[in-house]
Amino acid sequence: MVKVRRPLALTAAALAGVMLMTSCGSSDGGAEGDGKTLKLWHYEAPNSAMGIAWNQAIEEFKKSHPGVKVEFEAKGFEQIQKTASMVLNSSNAPDLMEYNKGNATAGLLAKQGLLTDLTPQVTKNGWDKLLSPSVTTTSRYDAQGVMGSGNWYGVPNFGEYTMVYYNKDLFAKNDVKVPTTFDEFEQALAAFKAKGITPLANGGAEYPAHQYLYQLALTKADRAWVDSFELYKGKADFHDAAWTYAANTLSDWVKKGYIAKTSSGAKAEDAGVSFISGKSPIFFSGSWWYGRFRDENKFKWGSFLFPGSKLTLGSGGNLWVVPKNAKNKQLAYDFIDITMKKGIQNTLGNNGGVPVAAEPSAITDPSSKELIENFNKVSSGDGLAFYPDWPVPGFYDVLVSATQKLITGSASPDAVLDELQKAYDAGAPTS
Amino acid sequence: MSARPLRLRNPYALYLIPGVIAFLAVVIVPFAMNIYFSLTHWQGVGSPTWAGLENYQELMKDSRFWESFRHSVAMVLAMAVIPTAVGLVVAAALFDFIGKHFGSRLAGVLRACFYLPQVLPITVAGIVWSWILAPENGSLNELLKAVGLGSLQQDWLGDPKFALYSVMAVMVWVQLGFPVVIFMAGLQRVDPSLHEAAELDGTNWWQRFWHVTLPQIRPEIHVVMLWCTIAALKVFGAVYVLTKGGPADATIVPSYFSFSTFFEKTDVGYGSAIATVLTLIILALTTVGLRFQSRSEDAR
Repeated sequence: MVKVRRPLALTAAALAGVMLMTSCGSSDGGAEGDGKTLKLWHYEAPNSAMGIAWNQAIEEFKKSHPGVKVEFEAKGFEQIQKTASMVLNSSNAPDLMEYNKGNATAGLLAKQGLLTDLTPQVTKNGWDKLLSPSVTTTSRYDAQGVMGSGNWYGVPNFGEYTMVYYNKDLFAKNDVKVPTTFDEFEQALAAFKAKGITPLANGGAEYPAHQYLYQLALTKADRAWVDSFELYKGKADFHDAAWTYAANTLSDWVKKGYIAKTSSGAKAEDAGVSFISGKSPIFFSGSWWYGRFRDENKFKWGSFLFPGSKLTLGSGGNLWVVPKNAKNKQLAYDFIDITMKKGIQNTLGNNGGVPVAAEPSAITDPSSKELIENFNKVSSGDGLAFYPDWPVPGFYDVLVSATQKLITGSASPDAVLDELQKAYDAGAPTS
Repeated sequence: MSARPLRLRNPYALYLIPGVIAFLAVVIVPFAMNIYFSLTHWQGVGSPTWAGLENYQELMKDSRFWESFRHSVAMVLAMAVIPTAVGLVVAAALFDFIGKHFGSRLAGVLRACFYLPQVLPITVAGIVWSWILAPENGSLNELLKAVGLGSLQQDWLGDPKFALYSVMAVMVWVQLGFPVVIFMAGLQRVDPSLHEAAELDGTNWWQRFWHVTLPQIRPEIHVVMLWCTIAALKVFGAVYVLTKGGPADATIVPSYFSFSTFFEKTDVGYGSAIATVLTLIILALTTVGLRFQSRSEDAR
């Protein structure tokens, strides 16, 4: 007869508990999807144009797919950005997920085989016919994960671009002419400074500062320059005329007081709030601010494309991607198809978003019309130059740090460009 | 040969098994995996490729890595040395002066006030301090302006000359409560007759504090110093919320450097190497600290 001692029994119970917990934690389900549940993740705020449109798309999906349950999980941008590869590598991947575009994000996942090749679905559903070529650049990735060619791994339903937001009331009050050329733009900056107003809202601790830098470089650049920098179709030289001009001009703008030295530690939100509060008359940033400015600005405001430049920052919006391990891929394709329909696209357009396939006549809001017209102008003129942090992983941090040095004057423009070159060369593919 | 039942010398050792398993699962195995990944090049997905000691060789030449450790030394000053020194004085003042003249209840309330920053989540404290230290409309700059010291206004977190000192000041505020609470507990343990005897010998407060109180609460001082030094080496949340290592790397610390290398650069191998070195340094310091503590206790 086996005599079980009490400590031994307790230990066995504890071990069983630990093993039970471990087994629960590692349970991966693994079963194929039953076609009855669509597991969907996105990170758009519910009151943003995209959030409103995707909610409407969910409702329409439920109507067209009776008996199918939509398991929607609201995620944070950072949350998806930092954990996507681990989640997608597991069997807990959603069926459909919104993901950031670019070589270091969607490109990396595509290269690692974690995303479904959507090319057959794109052709079958005619999504490619709805998107302009410059918008589709971020949807396609080659075997090295470099955007612009290869298979389709994501579908964007909206576009985004940067523009100059300006406070019409402050321009009128200070008798400053709304600029139409780059020279006039600098004259406007000088005119505000002469009145004791720092003209440009800026956030040095996040993206706004390096977007100023990149836009200044774009005023001296062309498509081949962008392709070299973003798509490695040539050598990116940070000491060329465009980058040198950009670094010197940004540094000069700080010295002249067009950008506050104290903005080096400010976040993007601080820059936006500075414009919303009427403190800064000008803010150069993306269309993602448009809806918020429309809701919160207590003054007359407008926007125009950065003067003196055919190129501006922008691209197709975030991508819908279907993970390789998704269990209900057909449902995911059906959902993407709904978001490409006129109804959802019109909703996007009427809520401050930039749809890629809306009916022009259905966009009733005049400011939205202007926003979309400007996007179409840039997009059809091959003017979307993407974002400066895309080419290599970790370049965002490098750009933030480098532009902070320009703002604080702790490094010369030349030294800053050296730093950018070093980080770029270390991260860019060698072949 | 007859089978003998398995008997442990101490039957209670069996109780350790769940803890050992949990320790293996959540500490040893992940640490071993971290060491393994630090010997590879890996982007977090796909297959890692073996790199040997390449990441460590690169680390030794990486100026950002060394800069982050220089900032760690500053953090040890802000989170261990200064709070311990100031905490001693505050605890003694609360115990010897406030407690004796105004009652233990007031001393207790003040002690709780000093401890409050420890209770606040660091993200909350960090956000509040980023408002206080904001260059435009920040409370500190507004206060300076209001009292006629407008010339002293600064971009506290955005200027590389001030950012590290600003983060250090916030961390002193965060950390101070911990030593105060521990030292006050230690002071209650000190035999009052020692102080009375010293007082009869004609010593003043400072002499009693230096020659009686301090030696008596040495174990607490060791614990606080060790605990706070480890916290300083690991500091992440405050840097993440206040400065994200900026401006221009002026406040970067090893844990944030490791995090950004992992998740922003998706260079898991290199990030693991940073984390491994940091862990080894913390382990070494902890071992030395514990040895020092036990040796000094043995000497008593």
